Amino acid sequence: MNNIPLNIDFQQIFLHLLNFTILTAGLYFLLYKPVKDFMDKRIAYYRDMDQAAETKLSEAEEYRDDCRKKQQGIEEKLMEQEEEAARKRLQADEAELQKAREQADKIIQDARAEAEREHEKILENARKEAADMVTVAVEKLLLESADSEVFDQFLSSAEGSVGDE
Amino acid sequence: MSSRQRKVSIAVFAGIVIVLLVAVALTGHSGGRQETIREVMRDAVLHETGRINFLNIKAVNPGFISAVTVTVVVLAAALVIRIFAIPRFRYVPGKLQMMLEEMVSLFDGLAKSNSPHRNGFLGAYIFGAGIYIFVGTLFELFGFQGVTTEGVSIALPAPLSDINGAIALGCLSYVVILSGGIVGNGLRGVGNTLKDFSLPISMSFRLFGALLSGLLVTELVYYYIQLSFILPVVVGVLFTILHALIQTYVLTMLTALFYGEVSEPRQKKRAGD
Repeated sequence: MNNIPLNIDFQQIFLHLLNFTILTAGLYFLLYKPVKDFMDKRIAYYRDMDQAAETKLSEAEEYRDDCRKKQQGIEEKLMEQEEEAARKRLQADEAELQKAREQADKIIQDARAEAEREHEKILENARKEAADMVTVAVEKLLLESADSEVFDQFLSSAEGSVGDE
Repeated sequence: MSSRQRKVSIAVFAGIVIVLLVAVALTGHSGGRQETIREVMRDAVLHETGRINFLNIKAVNPGFISAVTVTVVVLAAALVIRIFAIPRFRYVPGKLQMMLEEMVSLFDGLAKSNSPHRNGFLGAYIFGAGIYIFVGTLFELFGFQGVTTEGVSIALPAPLSDINGAIALGCLSYVVILSGGIVGNGLRGVGNTLKDFSLPISMSFRLFGALLSGLLVTELVYYYIQLSFILPVVVGVLFTILHALIQTYVLTMLTALFYGEVSEPRQKKRAGD
């Protein structure tokens, strides 16, 4: 052994190897593996958390899209309803207007009929008054003249004038 | 502080240093057998005399005693951390947890980036090797004492400044690389690994040379007591810390790099290529 340069001793090399192997194995089980396991566990924890957040985010986005669609549907429905209401309102207004026109026509017709009746009535009254006045006048004349010929002539002329009217 | 006060302070400091140096020179004497610097250097490399009994079984180089001490200390620390710290780990880490996670992530990331196809075992191996080299290199700073078979007290050196320790780690790294080649590519992986036959030698002697040079400089500085002021702060502490970081990075990086290269699955060539 002493002939090997630098006093290299194979037995001591193996002793060093044994010592280092024990150290490396010990460090692996006591320090390296537990710390690495913990770090992997933490990575998995945050990865899961990240995935859960992403899932929730996508769900929230889907929910938002649904809400937007619903809102859009509601707005369209609302618009249709407004249009329907406006249409109905217009129809009601037109019906009301028609009714008012009919009422106005009826009032006018009634008024005309009333006026006609009044007119007839006034004419009748006037005729009657005229007849009465004529009668009174004729009677006076008759009384004054007591002439039957004149009386008959008057009656025939009076009947003729009534027939003309 | 005014200019005059500063000059006075510097003069007082220089005076104290000179007085101490003179005192050191006048009072220094050899206590027992005095080795020459040549003997010290030779022994640091070859360990012909300065051996230590390992459990009264065999006389070994001091580097092996250092290696065993480092292993015991590191495993004890790891056990304490495993029992008391790791069960209290939180998803939002504290300082100790952050440091431990950073250490594991460093070597795990090194393994993954250099060997993306196969890195489970590699990460664990370079973690162990990195801790061993780093703590083992810093170990010499503490100056733990050992008693040689001749009854002389010596400071225990870094484990890898022992040629046997460096060869062990270099060759083991090569075997790990070879195993990666076999598992990843079978016989082709073996061929890829064996073509770099100089790798175990270069890895072993790079470690040995780097750490031995630090040891020799330290021995040189501490041999002369007049050099034992201020200078050890630079050569002892700063160089050792730099050594620890650089050698840890170099060996783990090389191992991961070669492992990744030989274990990478070979892509079949397309007909047009």
